[in-house]
Amino acid sequence: MSLRPFPCTLLLASLLILGCKDRQITAYRAAKDPAPAAMPAAAGNQGLPPDHPPIGGGMPSSPGADMASTAVPTAGGSDLVWSAPATWTPKTGSAMRKGSFSVKHDGAEADLSITAFPGDTGGLHPNLNRWRGQVGLPTASPAELDAALQHVDGQGLHFEIIDLVGTGAKPTRLLGAIAYYNGNSWFFKLTGPDSLVAGEKPAFLAFLQTVKAP
Amino acid sequence: MNNVVRQFRNFFVSLQLTVVLLILSLLLVFVATLDQVNLGIWAVQEKFFRSFFVLWRVPGTEVQLPVFPGGYFIGTLLLINLLAAHIYRFAFTWRKFGIQLAHSGLIMLLVGELLTGLMQQDSSMRLEEGQTKSYAESFRTFELALIDHTDPAFDEVVAIPEAALADEHSLQYPKLPFQVNVKAYYGNATMQMGDPAARPGTPVATQGLGARVQVMPLPLTYKPDEINQPAAFVEIVTPEGPLGIWAASPMIGMPQTFNYQGHQWELSLRLRRHYQPFSLSLLKVTHEVYPGTEIPKNFASRVRLKDEAGHEDREVVIYMNNPLRYGGLTFYQFQMNAAGKMSAFQVVRNPGWLLPYIACIMMGIGLLIQFGQSLTGFIRKRSAATPSN
Repeated sequence: MSLRPFPCTLLLASLLILGCKDRQITAYRAAKDPAPAAMPAAAGNQGLPPDHPPIGGGMPSSPGADMASTAVPTAGGSDLVWSAPATWTPKTGSAMRKGSFSVKHDGAEADLSITAFPGDTGGLHPNLNRWRGQVGLPTASPAELDAALQHVDGQGLHFEIIDLVGTGAKPTRLLGAIAYYNGNSWFFKLTGPDSLVAGEKPAFLAFLQTVKAP
Repeated sequence: MNNVVRQFRNFFVSLQLTVVLLILSLLLVFVATLDQVNLGIWAVQEKFFRSFFVLWRVPGTEVQLPVFPGGYFIGTLLLINLLAAHIYRFAFTWRKFGIQLAHSGLIMLLVGELLTGLMQQDSSMRLEEGQTKSYAESFRTFELALIDHTDPAFDEVVAIPEAALADEHSLQYPKLPFQVNVKAYYGNATMQMGDPAARPGTPVATQGLGARVQVMPLPLTYKPDEINQPAAFVEIVTPEGPLGIWAASPMIGMPQTFNYQGHQWELSLRLRRHYQPFSLSLLKVTHEVYPGTEIPKNFASRVRLKDEAGHEDREVVIYMNNPLRYGGLTFYQFQMNAAGKMSAFQVVRNPGWLLPYIACIMMGIGLLIQFGQSLTGFIRKRSAATPSN
């Protein structure tokens, strides 16, 4: 077989044109993105009077709305304050804790702890690996940890958030956020059964938005 | 006949070309299978089969050289070869109908794969109970979305695909009152808290969250269970001057906004969205397990399908092996988090999805006819040769 140069060149050129990637800029009009957590509450509380407490097992599916419309317990740390959803029950804080809540749903319970320590407490990565160890996960590399982080700005604070799910048939889940304020490291940690913590994630994220300097 | 045309014809109808292409296919499959250990299934498909050439990066450089024909190249040539041979060599006769039908099936299979590779769009739609969406999101590709939030009823969106960002050029678009100057783009990157100025080598963001975090480029990942998280530094330049430089990354979990000429704009690097003229609302997720075990028995999502024109408004249940087909898309039950009341669908647009089925039926019937003819011929010959008593 003789591979003639002319037909081959023509064929190659046409194939290369076909292979160009899509880099077209597009413009369109789209419906506004709803706040994802607000939807279930709207559905769940449909038909209820405006001042009726939320139904459905007390799951704060719309934490922002709940916090705005219901009485919320407010706890103050040494130099940060926050507003917790009405469905979280404050617990007696230990000497180590700045704040402590019990989060219950369907007979399961998760623990939310707020702690603060001076300095960077060994750095971000060792702390994240410490949390991984608490749910039975092996130590991860700094690159893996960084890739798993979400960055969110709150009221004058920046949170680094990680969501860790342990192993096994009934894994423990840890939702943690770290913020640095006034030379201290603040740790917000929600630990409990996987399904409960997953369901509380929107409430936890909304809770972080209430954390601020007094 | 013109000499050039004859060259073409002889080249494409040649049986030797068929043999060479089949050998190249064998080698391609062999090497790709070995490389799957390093790259994983997704990257192997992209590198070896859904490409015209297998590229090799010269060590220590960004230069990529074609070193072997890719799946599209071999497949396209095989297709042309088959078609040309059919047109030039095969005359239709009933005796050869079976083999011709089988070949036609093979042609259809090749065309189907080419169409699938070029036109199939895979994306996902994640919904929480009560949530409504009219778009699906790509699994792996991202876009820089510039969203004008000014109108309270809707958003005006200009989406710049990742491939256009990767060119690191200045981009202008009629619907944008400013220029988007891509200062840098990284196919995979991570972020960490820290002064961005302390990290040389990347531009320094002057606005938004990027002014307080460092962007660290990472090597591209090809593992099937990981996705690349791109990052870009974009400067917004208006006719009155630049507004600043923003760092954009899907890892930034909050909107970054700016105002220009009384309009509020949001800038976000997000998974590429594919909007549809209809919406799905998730009404209920059902996750059943076998009693006393954690073994899943049934995943089902009850959704409400509603189109913009008002022709369609009905409830549908999507469950395992029972997808929803609508508007050229197929929605498969993909993931579910019953505790979080979340369900995710894999959304597939594949205009050529029927072709492989038709092709296989054609090949099956063709081969059946061909072997049937041989068998009857053989039996007839044998019974003729047997002396009758």
